[in-house]
Amino acid sequence: MTLSVCGLSAVRSGRTILFPTDISIEPGARIGLVGASGSGKSTLGHALIDALQDQGARVAHVPQSPDEALDPLRRMAFHWREAEQALGLPHDAARQHALFRALKIEKGDLRKRPWGWSRGMQQRFVIAMALVGSPDVLVMDEPTSALDPVVAARTMALLEEYLSTRQTAMVLITHDLGLAAQRVARLMVMDAGRIVEDGPTSDVLTAPQSAVAKSLCMHRNWLELPC
Amino acid sequence: MMRGILGLLLRALVVLTGTALATFTLLWNAPGDAATTIAMARFDTLLSDVVVAQVRAELGLDAGFWPAFNSWIVPLLSGDFGNSSVTGRPVWPDLVSAISYTIPTALAGLAIGLALAIPLAILATRHPGSWSDRFAVGIASLGAAIPAYWLGLLLILLFAVKLAWLPAMGARTPAHVILPALTLGLGVAAALTRIIRSGILEARRQPFLPAFRRRGVSDRDLARAHVAPHAATPVITVLGLELAFLLEGIVMVEVIFSRPGLGSFLVTAIGARDFPKVQAVVVVTALLFVVINLAIDVIYRLIDPRTGTQDA
Repeated sequence: MTLSVCGLSAVRSGRTILFPTDISIEPGARIGLVGASGSGKSTLGHALIDALQDQGARVAHVPQSPDEALDPLRRMAFHWREAEQALGLPHDAARQHALFRALKIEKGDLRKRPWGWSRGMQQRFVIAMALVGSPDVLVMDEPTSALDPVVAARTMALLEEYLSTRQTAMVLITHDLGLAAQRVARLMVMDAGRIVEDGPTSDVLTAPQSAVAKSLCMHRNWLELPC
Repeated sequence: MMRGILGLLLRALVVLTGTALATFTLLWNAPGDAATTIAMARFDTLLSDVVVAQVRAELGLDAGFWPAFNSWIVPLLSGDFGNSSVTGRPVWPDLVSAISYTIPTALAGLAIGLALAIPLAILATRHPGSWSDRFAVGIASLGAAIPAYWLGLLLILLFAVKLAWLPAMGARTPAHVILPALTLGLGVAAALTRIIRSGILEARRQPFLPAFRRRGVSDRDLARAHVAPHAATPVITVLGLELAFLLEGIVMVEVIFSRPGLGSFLVTAIGARDFPKVQAVVVVTALLFVVINLAIDVIYRLIDPRTGTQDA
């Protein structure tokens, strides 16, 4: 079932940082939300999560850095259990194992606290935790910017493989057009709180219409990173 | 680990020797003649120079600072606190009996302090800046501004004199501990409320909390499982310092309420220049501090094992 939200907007200290925006998301869609810093990508992401949750859709969120997703004083096992309980799910060791295997973190020691894991593993744990309730939409806010390119590429590949057999749609918020180009089918370009361009990734990349999209494409990091 | 323990022991040794030496020096150099004061405390009357000279020789006060200090500290190394200069009785049994009065007062004071401070701080942080916050902070500031000796007298006036609900002086019944503990507790609560309040506000700013909320974790679970431990870390650190103030305050409170204990023990001993008694209190208090700080260190590391990984 296609999810759609209308009139998403946000005002902060009297200034509009997100103008009314409509978005529809098909099951299994791969949507990239790109734009310069301060263009309102994350704001739109947060507004989208809130609106979809209000509709009763299952939405999971992966923040930019594991520091924004994990409590350094709590063990990994606690985080996992809490995430399950928050969704009202019973503990399921098989599901946990399947997710850990999919993201290649099955060797991680759950008795440790986040800082006992590498950052790449922490981020993959956060992604696994986001997938625990089989969400309809997974909103990822610069999920790999805290990781080195090789780890980032591997993480995204593992995630894509896992999602390929599922209905979960992914909204990837990023300023890295190179990452988006490889991972999403539809690109939305944001500027100053508005979506200025929305179309298939290849169209936007080859024939950008708006000034922002053109400049983004020009400054795209063409260095062939593995991602 | 071994290095850590050795470091702690070494630190404890430095603290203990330092405090023992410092108080001995102060007491030795205090104005007035020590032997005369001791002799007067002993016989409760003015005495001839002959008797004073006798006391001086008997206690080794004529031998100079270092021999006197050594004759106190050497037996202590084998656990002997020596005999009172005034009564001649061993210091240790009297000290134990004094401690047995002080510890319950201190613990009750701390318990009252925490029992008041935690709800007040939670009330204050429910709506920061609101009237309830200002009320709680106001109460806390008021408590911090009132000195223990005045507060103690006010409490006596209200509960013992006017209402006649509670006994004021002595330590005959368990009810006698209430007013002294309340005096201490109100002071402790004042300082702790502000620290717990800012601890909670600080903990609420942790960057990971929005993600937990989006994950569906309820506000109640968030407060209990994530905000509380982060708020507790600064509080535990301060709790050690707070215990220092508590021991300081207890001397005053015990004197105000004529309650036997370490405070009155110390005040009498200082008045009579009873070196072994004063020194015993100082050593025991310093030791208590070392143990409390050690315990805080351990608790701190249990909550946040990152602490202490670089520094033993």
